Amino acid sequence: MEQVALEAATHDVSLLGLFMQAGFVVKLVMIGLLGASVWTWAIAIDKYVNFGRARRQFDQFEQVFWSGQSLEELYRTLSERQNHGLAAIFVSAMREWKKSFERGARSPIGLQMRIDRAMDVTLARESEHLIARLSSLATIGSAGPFVGLFGTVIGIMTSFQAIAGSKSTNLAVVAPGIAEALLATAIGLVAAIPAVIAYNKFSGDAGKLTARMEGFADEFSAILSRQIDEKLQPRAAAQ
Amino acid sequence: MRSSVITSTILHCVVLAWAILSISAPASFEVADVEALPVDIVPVEELTQTQQGAEKAEKKDVSAPIPTTRPQTVDNAQNIGDNDVDLKSAPTPITKPTNVEQAAAPEKVEKVQPKQDNETNDVKDVQQEQEVAASEPPPPQEVAKAEPVVKPEPKPEVTPEAKPEPEPAPEKPAEEALPTNVPVPEFKPKQAEAKPETKPVEKPPEKKAEEKPVDKKVEPTKTASIKSDSKSKDDKKKQETAKSKSSKESDFNADDISALLNKTDAKSSGAKRSTQTASLGTKKSNGGSKLSQSEMDALRGQIENNWSIVSGIDGAQGVTIKVTMRLDENGDIIGDPEVIASGGSDAARRTLEGSALRAIMKSRPFKGLPRDKYDAWSEVVVNFDPSQLL
Repeated sequence: MEQVALEAATHDVSLLGLFMQAGFVVKLVMIGLLGASVWTWAIAIDKYVNFGRARRQFDQFEQVFWSGQSLEELYRTLSERQNHGLAAIFVSAMREWKKSFERGARSPIGLQMRIDRAMDVTLARESEHLIARLSSLATIGSAGPFVGLFGTVIGIMTSFQAIAGSKSTNLAVVAPGIAEALLATAIGLVAAIPAVIAYNKFSGDAGKLTARMEGFADEFSAILSRQIDEKLQPRAAAQ
Repeated sequence: MRSSVITSTILHCVVLAWAILSISAPASFEVADVEALPVDIVPVEELTQTQQGAEKAEKKDVSAPIPTTRPQTVDNAQNIGDNDVDLKSAPTPITKPTNVEQAAAPEKVEKVQPKQDNETNDVKDVQQEQEVAASEPPPPQEVAKAEPVVKPEPKPEVTPEAKPEPEPAPEKPAEEALPTNVPVPEFKPKQAEAKPETKPVEKPPEKKAEEKPVDKKVEPTKTASIKSDSKSKDDKKKQETAKSKSSKESDFNADDISALLNKTDAKSSGAKRSTQTASLGTKKSNGGSKLSQSEMDALRGQIENNWSIVSGIDGAQGVTIKVTMRLDENGDIIGDPEVIASGGSDAARRTLEGSALRAIMKSRPFKGLPRDKYDAWSEVVVNFDPSQLL
């Protein structure tokens, strides 16, 4: 008993020491939470960079789009590369438009519907691209503390078992076990708090960008419908 | 995405490394190895209430005064001491008799004068009286006293008298007592002229009239005053003072004083003998008395034994009775005991107050109260719960 107390008293209470002394389950929990934290920050950085870029691209595209440049010309330059966001929606709509006219489609209503459908599909894909992995942030944010708590409970359980084994309630026996157990909760919170904050921020940003794409899609749909009417009217008049 | 994952990993590694390096083991609490500190709860009475004992003896559980040496002479003595009388006063240390020689105060010639004082304190009158008393003495006295009054005359008269110094000498031997006194005063005064005259003249009559032996001792002072007679005003003043002194010191007698003083040895107070070895304490027991619980219960029991409580009083539940009474040393009640009931119904209170008073009066005088704790029970408050007696 004396020896146990002495051993307990010589516990390494540093961060690394606590981790090394922790039990297998607690260690696993800690490592998992550390990974979650890494993942959270990776997503947060990724989203931050992506959203920033997307916003810039939207701005650029809108500027070009409303500059009075010919849509045919814009389509020709854009279709040659991979597009995201507004540009992708524009390209998809223009592609559908071109296809319909190249084949000599007669029905203006059918054409309008097809273009809208094409734009919706693109919009859904783009918005999904925006919110991709945000759900994992939400998961980490909500489950992280629980996982940490689980590690803590397991750790405290083992430390109480140690008390029972050593038959001593000496604080030196109890304290290290509790400290290492609490470390799990701490790591859980360290992972969860940024995850929650990042999720809230980026889901809001994604919502804004999606709304912007939808607005553009509607506007472009209106423009195209006007164009369809203008192009089909002379034909009908000629006949 | 890969780049951001790598960035995140690097970030975490940096933070972890910093944490591991900076958040090292905290400094362990080094608690000084202090022995357990015993704590006692001391009632204040222990400090304020002291027991009789010896002031310079070692401290023991029970304080006791210095053991007495003499056999017990007084029965039922309460106060420890070697005295024959049981007194409460604290023993006083025996002081060695200091070697004080009390010289008997010189008996004054003026002793006689108080008679004269009764009438007046006026010098002139006294002188006149003296003159009257010594009416026999012929012209010389008259001359002497006339001197102060009438300055011009005396000179011629005195000188003739002073010159014949031998004259007084022959006179004195004839008058017996005076011889020794006369020569001494003569030399001191500068004015040799007046003194020789006066002394012989005045003394003879006085001495004859009064006690001669006394006069002899005191004569010098008298002579001194007489010497000054030559100068009128100084003379009168001195006489006056002399008379006032005598009136104050009227009947002082050193022998009487020793008789008046109580010669009993006050070294110790009581008459109770003690054989205990001396231990630390104070000269006197100082309120160290407090009725113990059992003594209090005994007192309460005496009252309760005489208390016949009628059962079935409505509302007797919850009545408490507080009795305040003053007792004399025999345990009898001084004055009227104060009985106050509280709680319960009005009628029950009145009934129980009456029965309590009767019980108290029936059980007087109270027995078993320790006499040495009389201070504690001279005024005693006893509380009763009649519902427990039912």
